[in-house]
Amino acid sequence: MEWWQSIIDSLYLNTLSLGLVETLKLAFFSLLSGAIIAVLLTLILQLKVVVLEPLVKLIIVFFTGTPLLVQFFLIYFGPAQFEWLRDSWLWDYLSQPSICAILALALNTAAYSALLFKGAIEAVPASDWLACKALGMNVRQTLSVVVSRAARQVLPAYSNEVIMVVKGTSLASTITIMDLMGYAQRINGQTYDTLVVFSVAGAYYLAINGVLTLVLRTVEKRALRFQNTMG
Amino acid sequence: MFDLPVVQAFSMAAMMTIGIALTALVVGFIMALLFCAGEMNKHRWLSLPVTALVTIIRGVPEILVVMFVYFGSTQVLFLITGDYIDVSPFWAGVAALSLLFAGYASQTLRAAINAVAKSQSTACQALGLPPLYSFFRVILPQAWRYALPGLGNQWMVLLKDTALVSLIGVTELMKQADLTSATTYQPFTYYALSAAIYLLITLLSQQLIKIMRRRAAYYDGQAEV
Repeated sequence: MEWWQSIIDSLYLNTLSLGLVETLKLAFFSLLSGAIIAVLLTLILQLKVVVLEPLVKLIIVFFTGTPLLVQFFLIYFGPAQFEWLRDSWLWDYLSQPSICAILALALNTAAYSALLFKGAIEAVPASDWLACKALGMNVRQTLSVVVSRAARQVLPAYSNEVIMVVKGTSLASTITIMDLMGYAQRINGQTYDTLVVFSVAGAYYLAINGVLTLVLRTVEKRALRFQNTMG
Repeated sequence: MFDLPVVQAFSMAAMMTIGIALTALVVGFIMALLFCAGEMNKHRWLSLPVTALVTIIRGVPEILVVMFVYFGSTQVLFLITGDYIDVSPFWAGVAALSLLFAGYASQTLRAAINAVAKSQSTACQALGLPPLYSFFRVILPQAWRYALPGLGNQWMVLLKDTALVSLIGVTELMKQADLTSATTYQPFTYYALSAAIYLLITLLSQQLIKIMRRRAAYYDGQAEV
């Protein structure tokens, strides 16, 4: 099995796999917290909560209108400017790169997803709301009908968002996190074996996105199965 | 609020950002047309590699594409010539950003070209128009209307992706924010400033795209803007 080992070594598979774990972790936690924040933002927009609504709109414009890299740097390097922030308990969290990376990614994806969710809820036909009313459903029951319909509709667009987050995790390497991209850059700096290192790292990302696309497509097919049977 | 050298530096940097984005837009659009032609080609030996390339570009992180083009081109040049040749970060950045733009824009263009009625190209053939002439003067202007919303979105993505070029040493907005915050120890102020300028540029181009869409949809009766 010596040839096998030499292939693994020459493709830097062992080192890059360490980064893969970090990338997957980042993507998982950002997506999870991003989805929760997105639902909150959508609720605030949909219910038109007094003070919060303009604030949420501002957050969405900021996070969708500026580069993700600026957001990373602003969240990671920005707080150090303020002494009161450095002295507060928050500093324990804000000085950790992984927490900053997850925060930036989560807020970014939440801003984009909130727009998707809002669009999907508004796309539910008025007749659905009327039908729920006619059947005498209460608010909770009505929401369960409307939300399940909107959720099915938003799935394909949300799948794209999931892929964007996985790709976005690579920026965490710029704030000292050793993810897939971080290790690729370190090996590149040590060996100048650029084409091989970055190709292998690219193949890892392609594999993650490929698997995710397949899984999400299956979920979409199951969730939207009723459309096919009706058609 | 900011002193003059800072204002000057940031306006230079903003021009750089816009310059890179526009150059990449032009190069990327031409590449997108080529990708599109490749993907729609009936010969599989041509369409398959192009489809694979587009899938790869869309499936890997943008930062990887930028680094791959910049460091990779140096290595390729070294393997060919045996010398270390410095690749200009600007043009490496433009190449990477155009590739990224073309990867997404070719999909939009393909869908738009397919949306133009088949009878249009049949009519061109019947009139004996040369194929390239009929593509650029008959099909593409009609496809433009369908492509514009998608291309507009991809232009916004391109604008935001220009920030990645700072990582290979081009002094645009992001890099300028790095430099200024390192000398002043005010990272928040200057990253926020660059964010505000990015926001200004994206909001302005959003308005511009709206106007372009309205003009493109002028003959459609009801414009769906």
